[in-house]
Formats: sequence, structure tokens, C-alpha cells
Amino acid sequence: MRIYKVIATLLFLIYLGLLFYLYGGADSSKAYPNKPITIVVHSKPGSSIDLMSRKVAGLARKYCPQPFVIENHPGTQGIVAMQYVMDKKADGYTMLGVTKSFLSTLVVNKSNVAISDFLFLSNMISDPEAVITNKASGYKSLQDVVDKAKEEGRQVWIGPGTGSRDHLMALKCWEILGINGQWVDYKSGPQSVLAMLRNEAPVYVGNPSDILGKDDLKILAIAAENRLESLPDVPTFKESGYDINESMWRGFAVKKGTSEIATAYLSEVLKKVSQDEEWIAYCREVYSFPDYLDSKTFSKRIDDETAETIAYLKKAGLLNSYVNKGPVPLLMMAVIFALFIFFVLMLITGFKVKRLTYNLILSGVFVWISVFFFYQTFLFKIPEGLNITSPALIPRLWSVLLFVTAIWNLVNELKGKYKPVKSGRIKLTGKILLVLVLYFIAIPYAGYYLSTPFFLLAGFYILKYRKWPVMIAYGFGFVVFSFVVFQLLLKIDLPLGSLFM
Amino acid sequence: MHLTPLLMILIGVVVGIMVGVLPGLSPSIGVALMLPATFGMDPMSALVLLTAVYLSANYGGSITAIAINTPGTPGAVATTFDGYELTKQGKPMYALITSLTASTVGGLVGTVILILFSIPLAQLALSFESYEYFALGVFGMTIISSLAGDNPVKGYIASLLGLLLVTVGFDTQLPFSRFNMGIPQLADGIEFIPALIGLFALGEIFFSIEHFKVLKKEVSAKKAIHKNKKLPFRKLWKLKGLMLRSSVVGTLIGVIPGAGGTIATFIAYNNAKSTSKHPKRFGKGSLEGVAAPEAANNGSVGGALVPLLTLGIPGSASTAVLIGALMVHKLNPGPQLFENEPGLVYGLFISLFLANLVMMGLGLMGNRLWVRIIEAPKKLLYPLIIALSFIGSYFIQNSLFDVGTCLAFGLLGWMLKRGGFPTAPVILGLILGRMIEENLRLSLVKGDVSDFFTRPWSLIILVLAAVSFLLPIIKKRLNKPVKK
Repeated sequence: MRIYKVIATLLFLIYLGLLFYLYGGADSSKAYPNKPITIVVHSKPGSSIDLMSRKVAGLARKYCPQPFVIENHPGTQGIVAMQYVMDKKADGYTMLGVTKSFLSTLVVNKSNVAISDFLFLSNMISDPEAVITNKASGYKSLQDVVDKAKEEGRQVWIGPGTGSRDHLMALKCWEILGINGQWVDYKSGPQSVLAMLRNEAPVYVGNPSDILGKDDLKILAIAAENRLESLPDVPTFKESGYDINESMWRGFAVKKGTSEIATAYLSEVLKKVSQDEEWIAYCREVYSFPDYLDSKTFSKRIDDETAETIAYLKKAGLLNSYVNKGPVPLLMMAVIFALFIFFVLMLITGFKVKRLTYNLILSGVFVWISVFFFYQTFLFKIPEGLNITSPALIPRLWSVLLFVTAIWNLVNELKGKYKPVKSGRIKLTGKILLVLVLYFIAIPYAGYYLSTPFFLLAGFYILKYRKWPVMIAYGFGFVVFSFVVFQLLLKIDLPLGSLFM
Repeated sequence: MHLTPLLMILIGVVVGIMVGVLPGLSPSIGVALMLPATFGMDPMSALVLLTAVYLSANYGGSITAIAINTPGTPGAVATTFDGYELTKQGKPMYALITSLTASTVGGLVGTVILILFSIPLAQLALSFESYEYFALGVFGMTIISSLAGDNPVKGYIASLLGLLLVTVGFDTQLPFSRFNMGIPQLADGIEFIPALIGLFALGEIFFSIEHFKVLKKEVSAKKAIHKNKKLPFRKLWKLKGLMLRSSVVGTLIGVIPGAGGTIATFIAYNNAKSTSKHPKRFGKGSLEGVAAPEAANNGSVGGALVPLLTLGIPGSASTAVLIGALMVHKLNPGPQLFENEPGLVYGLFISLFLANLVMMGLGLMGNRLWVRIIEAPKKLLYPLIIALSFIGSYFIQNSLFDVGTCLAFGLLGWMLKRGGFPTAPVILGLILGRMIEENLRLSLVKGDVSDFFTRPWSLIILVLAAVSFLLPIIKKRLNKPVKK
């Protein structure tokens, strides 16, 4: 036990040092920038915007004394990353990597973030949209595709996503090329490319880099002003007589309200990077083109393109509200269903609370879930004229099956086919749950590092472990361990808490 | 071979096992986290390091699955069925050694298949369309009939619950979010890993605290662990056929882009149970039930590399990151890689072999450490696991909402277990629901229902699915009167 006392004291001291390190605070008296600048990226490492940001971060070292650090916050097509930046201070130390896909994301999703929340610093690079076909399809040029489409009356184009940039590109092409097109959403880039390798559809809308290493695929045209240096043989839409310019731009933004000093500084660094020869070479290598825009022109372009995006989404019937409001609010409906099912259960058991066992209630909950989901599918409002199957199809199938099996289970239960549930130490479990919920509530305020040791000690105590030196060693030791593994090795920021920051 | 790749293998395996062990860190996140570190390396070292991480993370996930009923990675879900049972019986070492051996065999078989048959297998990957993906998803679901145990109805309910919960979030064909109740964090659906951790780790802890007197039985458990520290070799040798078969199953399913190793583990588990001489032992601590999914899981690694190297298409989330790594080094994944960079490709093959052997060696050493953890008093272990689950849920999106998801699914897991409902089918539904819906609806857009039955692969898989769903039920019916 003595050795544990020594270890416990040691770990506790390390923990205190750790707190000092985390909350000690940086010296903010020096001129901007006096600490590393974070670039938040909305996709996983290895994605094109991630690689682009890392390249910029690498080159920016030449022009800025502080390093740029990449943080990946994937999820909900960028909303997670945008929200993350919005939650940070507008102090010029958090930059967001932005791409054109954010425009439709923000239009389609109902979230708290808006385009006007950001100040767009500069665009760096653009990736032209490309119309790709399989060599075996026999299309030699864009004109062949247009002719064939007119001959057949209807033509299938594929790509990832509905309402995605690629989909909007297809809509734009159909309008300008005069094609009666039909969009089939293959969900992801790789699945679309696989379908193209099988020559399943005449046209795939993607990016030039999609054909890398795939000899069977061929780009018919790219939607850029000029041919790409890296693909000198591929014509542009313009050359074929169609004025379509559509590229996926990638640049940087900060939260609105960031000081003039910081935005001017960051813009200057980005401008210098964009003129760096290594940067220009990089753009060529990834089958894109350098496309530097300063804050003003960039913002203007974003405004124009947002308007265009909304127009096309509307035209495709994708901007409607897809869910009808029911006769009563959804939560009220949920309560009504619950009360009704509870009433039926009581009726079956002859209004005797004692006979309403845990298992009966659980079966009731399953019936309730199935009814509630089924009800919601009737509120779906599906735009007409789209080539899709109903979003209600599968949820209805599962909820009907769940309803049937839940009733079946209920009948078995009533017949007494199952053994009744043996209750154990509910009080003890309840205590653990209570501490757990308190811990969960405390994390955003007190932070991970301050709340965790207390949760652990309380947990050990409730489970009737009483050797204090061991408890302290494990409680504080775990926090030190998680700091080393997550913060130092994996570079994952655990929440520090709003109370102390 | 130079010394650097060897060092990379060693680092990769250590990192991979750690990634696998930590709940929440899936192989693809692990590979993604390591990716930036490889930007400065030569292409060979980078590729070797990342594939070593990928391979050993798939093994590492089984350790926590066995030790604390927390699948460290989605691919280790099936390992919990029998692995954790063995731990409860005081035989964690049996499960750990079986899993390690099966993983190594799976990895080696996968590599051999990759080297010998990658070109014909690429054709298999190409011939799978949405119809076949749908059929494969359904096939994966049929395992519920062997998981359900005594009350099939409860198993069906649990799986339907998972299937229904996974419809929350973006529709697969229209840009709108279903069933999100106006909660913005649910717009993209329920995050899978926190749900998995909650259902298995927290659910089990709550249930144990309520029911088992484990807290009092610590001492006898410790004795049992010491008694069963060595797994008799003949027991392992008996599993050789099963391991080989499951490895091949895993590799073949791994080849199909997007299907993933997790489905392979379920199919292998189901197959092992239906062909076993002792199907009754499954779910109650069968070594076969540990060996089959683990061999399939690591076999899928070699399989997933087939479409990457031959078609330039990622076969799994982890290989998608590998494509990024290739691009950074200005290499085009695809058939040209064999022509332009043969040294790199064959170097990768050799290093995959070595990585498997290093994994076996390090795994054997690690096993002693893992047993130590299992021996720790549960009163100390449970709060620590809860805290670890919270971190694991948090860092996927740096979101406290996900921690809430983990807690909610922990409660769900506990409630289900109390009522005698199995929790594994919920996860099965969460894993396969999207794949089934997406591909069914895409198929219906492209063609009609009859296509499912006129395409050979789709028909074969659907028939297999029907057999594997009905067989356990029929067997049970036939056996019943005999007993009485």
C-alpha cells in the first residue's frame, strides 16, 4: 500500500502540472500572430481539400513566423466544421477551408450557420467539372453525346449525390446543351467510377482526377476557361461552342468579426503562397489550376454563385420543404401515441398497475416506436417528376415489421411464455447513472480534465472500492494517460470547458 | 529489403494495435491519423506503414471485444459473441490466442490471394452492382436467426429497431433529412461508433452492476484465469480448416468495394455456426465463434487492396485513405501501378507478409498485458471503461452530442438486456440498414424487382440468404419433437 501512496502522490502532482500547462494561458500581449494558426478542414485526411490545406500550410511557413496546423472535423457535409469555427473566438487563429460545395450545403440544410457568418479571405485553387465517359461507349466528343441524347430523347447521367455540385453541373449542362437528362445518384465517387468502368451509363459528371490510372475512361470536356496544362488534349466546353464554366473552388475563410489586422495579415500570406512556384506546380499535378481571388472578388463570386445554386435547386424541385407539418406538432403526436398505447396496455391488464410488468412496458415502447415512425412517413412531401423511389418505402417496411413482431412479443408476454425479469440492484445502477449524467453535464462547463477525476473517484466509491491511494492513483493516472495518448500522440483536443476559457 | 520498411512495419503494427484497442478509433480513422506523418517519407515507407496500421488495427479491435465486451472496431462486433463469454468463464487467454492466430492466418491468406488472384478478382469487384450489394446486405442480416437464441421474436425486434434507427438522417436519394425531430445534430443520422460503444460497453456495465455478483467473485475469477493461461495447441489445430475457410470468405467479401470487412465477419460467423459440429456452443464461449470472424476480418484487408491496386478504387474506408496517400506521392492507383512501379507493389506484398508475422509476435507479448487488465478489480475497471467510452465517442467529430448518443445507447442496451433482448442485432441493423436501403432503391431506379432474380450473383446470394435464414429455424422445428 505504501508504494501506492507514492504513486498516487506522484500522479496527482503530474496532474496539477498538467492543469497548469493547459490553463496557464498564452501570452497575448505580443503582436498578431503569436501562436499557431489552425486550419479547420471539413473532411478526412487525404481528401482533396485536406491535401490542399496541408500544401498551403507547408508553403506558408516561408511567409509567416507561426506554423499553420490542420484539424479535421468531418461530418454533415461541412456543417460540423463550420459550426466548430463559429464556436471559436474570432481572433484570427482559426481559419476554415471552404469549397464550393458549402453553398448547396448551406442552402439545403437547415442549420444555424449561414454564409454571411464568414469572411472569405481568398480562393486558392479550382478544379474544373468534367464530363467523363467510357471509351467503349463510342462517344468521341461532347457533340456525339448531345446528338445521341437528341436522337434517343432521354439520357442518363450519373454522379455522386442529389443536389450536389456534380448534380447541379449536370442540370446546367442539360439546360445549355438542350438535353432531356435523367440523373441517377450513385451515392459516392468510387461507386460512380465503378459503374463507369462497367460502361453502365453514357456520362459521368466528376473531376479530371477521377480518370487517373483508369485507361478505360475518357474526359469529353472540362468546364474551364482554358485547357489544363496537365491535360493538354482535353477540350473545354467553350471550344465545343457551349459557354459552361463550372469549377469546384477551394479557398479559406474566417469567422466574421475577426480584426482587420488579422484578416489583412492572413490574406497577405495566402497571396504570397498563391504566387509561389511550388504552389503553381502543385495545382498542375492535381489536375487543377491556380485560381487566386482576393477577398472582394471571392465574396462577389460567392454571392453570384449562391443565387445560381438556389435557382438550379429550385428548378430541379429540390428546394421545397420535404416534410409537411402535421395537424399537431410532432412531439405532441408522440405523446398522444404513447398515452394511447399505455391506455391499451392498462386495458389488457385490467387496470392493475402491478400487472404492468417491465416486459409489457418495453413491448409497448416498441409498438410506440413503430407507430411513431410510420406516422412520420405520411408527412413526407415528395416532389414529382424526379426519377426516384419513395423515401417512405423502407422506413414503412421496417416499421410495419416492427409493429407485427412487437405485437407478437406482447402476446407471448401476456400468455406468460417468458420468465419475468429479475430486478437486481437498481439503486446501485441508478447511482452510477446519476453520477454519469452529472459528469456528462459537467464536461462542457468544467472541461474534461477537471471533471473526469471526480467522476472516476465517485464511481469507484459508489461501487464500494475504498482504498484511497489506489483510487487516487487510478483516477488521476487515467487523466494523465488520456492526455498523453489523445492530446500529445493523437493531437485530439479534449474539451477544456467554457467556465475557464 | 532495407531497414526502414522493417522499422515502419514495427511502428505500424504497434500503432495499429493501439488504434484497434482504443474504442472509437476504427482502422480507417487510425490510417487517416497516421497519414499526415507519412507525407515526408518515401512512397514505399509510407505505404508499408499505413497498411501495417490498417492490418493490425483490424486485429486490435478484437482485444477489447474479448476483454471488456467493447468492440474496439466495428469489425470486432462478432468477436464479442463468444470472446467475451470466454472471458466471463475465466478463459480470456483462450479467446485472445485464438483471435490472434485467426487474425494472422486471415491476414496471410488474404495476402496470398491478393498476390495470386488480384486480376481475376478485380472482375468480381466490377461485376457487383447495386443488385448484388443489396443481396449481400440481406445475406448479412440473416445471421440474426442464429444469434436470436431461444426467442427469435426478440432478435427480430432488436434488428428491426436497428434498421429503423438507421433511417434517421439524410435520405439516400433526396437532399432532406428524415426523422431528425428538428435536432440539427441528427440531420446526418445517428453516429455509428458512439452507438456501438454505448450499446456494448455501457450496456454491459450497467447490466453487470445491476445483476451479476461479479464484484464479489473477483478472487475466484482470478484463479480461473491463471489456471487457463495456456491454450492447448491441439485445440487450436482443430480450427485450421475453419480459419482457412473464413479467411477466404473474408478476402472475397473484402474485394467488393464498399461491402467491408464487418459484413464478412458476420457471414463467416454464421457459416461457422451452421457447419459446426457443436452449434449449441456458439454464443456460449465457442472457440470457433472467435476464430471465424477474426480470420474473415483480417482476410478482408488483403481483399480490400485488390480493387485499390487493380482498379484504382477503394474497397473500404481505410483504403480510401490509402488512395490519398498514393496521390500525395504522385502515384496513380490502378493497373498502371503494376507497370510503372513494380518494385513498390511487390515490396508492399512482402511487407504485408512480414507485418502479419510481426503482429503475431507483438500480439503474443501483448496478451499478458491484456490479461492483466482483465484481472483488475471490476470496481475500478468499470468507471475507467465508461470514461474511455466517452472519449472514444467524443473525438470522432469533437462533439459532446455524440457522447450523449453513447450514453443513450448505453441505456438502451441495458433496457434491452433486462428484457431478454439481444443487443447484437441492433448493431447489425445499424451496419447493414443503409446498404440495404441505398442499393434497393438505386436498383429500383435503374431497373425493376425481377433484376434481382435474373442476375446470377444476385440470385445466388439471395438463395444463400434464404437458406441461412431458414435453416436454423427448420433445424429447431425438426429437433423439438425428438427431444420430447
